[in-house]
Amino acid sequence: MTGPIPTIAEAARLIANKKLSPVELTRACFARIHALDHRLHAFVHLTEERAMTEARAAEHAIMTGAPQGPLCGIPIGLKDIVDTKGIPTTCGSKILLDNIPDADAACAESLAAAGTVLIGKTTTHEFADGGPSFDLPAPPARNPWNPEHFTAGSSSGTGAAVAAGLILGGIGTDTGGSIRGPAALCGIAGIKPTYGLVSRTGVAPAAYTLDHIGPMAWTAEDCALLLQALAGHDPRDPASANRPVADFTAELGRGVKGLKIGVIHHFHETDYPVSAGTRHGIDAAIVTLRGLGAEIGEVQLPPLQDWGACGSLISITERAAAYEEWARTRLGDFGDRVQRRLMLGALVSGVDYVQAVRRRRELRAELQRAMRGLDVVLTAAQPAEAPKIDAVPVWDTFAAPSFTMPFNVAGYPAISVCAGFGEGGLPVAIQLVGKPFQEPTVLRLADAYEKATDWRSRRPAMLDAVSG
Amino acid sequence: MPSEISDQALDFLLARAGLALSDAQKADLKSVYQGIAAMAARVRQKRGHMAEPALTYGFAEEDLP
Repeated sequence: MTGPIPTIAEAARLIANKKLSPVELTRACFARIHALDHRLHAFVHLTEERAMTEARAAEHAIMTGAPQGPLCGIPIGLKDIVDTKGIPTTCGSKILLDNIPDADAACAESLAAAGTVLIGKTTTHEFADGGPSFDLPAPPARNPWNPEHFTAGSSSGTGAAVAAGLILGGIGTDTGGSIRGPAALCGIAGIKPTYGLVSRTGVAPAAYTLDHIGPMAWTAEDCALLLQALAGHDPRDPASANRPVADFTAELGRGVKGLKIGVIHHFHETDYPVSAGTRHGIDAAIVTLRGLGAEIGEVQLPPLQDWGACGSLISITERAAAYEEWARTRLGDFGDRVQRRLMLGALVSGVDYVQAVRRRRELRAELQRAMRGLDVVLTAAQPAEAPKIDAVPVWDTFAAPSFTMPFNVAGYPAISVCAGFGEGGLPVAIQLVGKPFQEPTVLRLADAYEKATDWRSRRPAMLDAVSG
Repeated sequence: MPSEISDQALDFLLARAGLALSDAQKADLKSVYQGIAAMAARVRQKRGHMAEPALTYGFAEEDLP
């Protein structure tokens, strides 16, 4: 297989028209993995034999004319906190080094049922927390745009693997930004859906009331295709929303004329001023969206630090509760960063937690009020381009407020898409946030933006040396 | 919530949490206590006793007889 790495949408069309073989597509992914992953560490476990079997089955299904969906034969990866039947699921931890689940997580089931080809399990920060860590069973993933730099986390392997074309899409999880952060720093698209839209069954928790499962891919359109397979009610997940699932691709291509966007300028200009490259990316995106016909206004919310305090206290406490038994008996078996996070749980009282949850109700009401009359709000996804991988503070919780946490606190859908490149050629991003269950609008806007810019035509330079 | 924590108070909280930390870990944790205190202060508002938490819930239709 030669030529540029296809998006999921492009590959789906070619496969359906019998112009692209899922077997060749899968082989090309493994060729890139074998050429690059020793530098990226995007995978902790490859499932090559299974993948080739699934690719051949997909090809057979296509060739025999059985009707197939757009994910048939598409190579994907699953973050290694997602349970996979018969396949190691370590959560990036020494504690679960020998863990082989006896059932698939709901999201793994859904993607398999849609005909995807599982390439492997992608690197995660330990139990989706902390990172980058150099004291875990596997090394941290590295950024394909420059392997000396961080991917963000915790869905670090999926972010790196998609950017480098090792897979066409994959699963991330997001408790405070773990889909959107790696999407932003790796220059791809990643959507944290509305809380409850995608089942959490079989995915290791980070913080129960903040955890979201969602897709990461090269484009917003690809995220829509993956989300279609993932969304839906699951009675096994107590937070699962029992409501009809939207058509996530239905609004793509309709343009953005008349959509009302509120920019949360104070988040990225005064609450925590972003880098010059990120600011330029955001400002240029606003110009682009206005030029496409969107109506741009400004919204005011409580300061970023209020959202961060609320989300962090909830996250610290819920994580400490989830992992209390191991923290008490095997603390030293966690990596240094997660040990620190678990230690923090001792400092947060029950009353602090409830005050945080009361604040959460108020903050959600503020966002609801601010979004009346708007379709989407826009701000930064990350404060800057990717830092050097050895320059991430160990107590990053206190180093800078998160631009993504507000929408975990609120549970609103939010996507990060590439908005250009800063100094050193590293990606910058914007974050688009919709109202609950309005993913079609968020994806429509993100898709229109991507198609109005040429950021999707550029891949990491390390791919130039890889044929196929 | 005070912005600093004594060694004795930290030891009590760690014992209650069941965590056995080294002296270096305790010192490290103590160094960020101020950050937690600041977060705890931020989530406290003049809201009165009637303000509900976000965890307040209702029953879904499927739960009802």
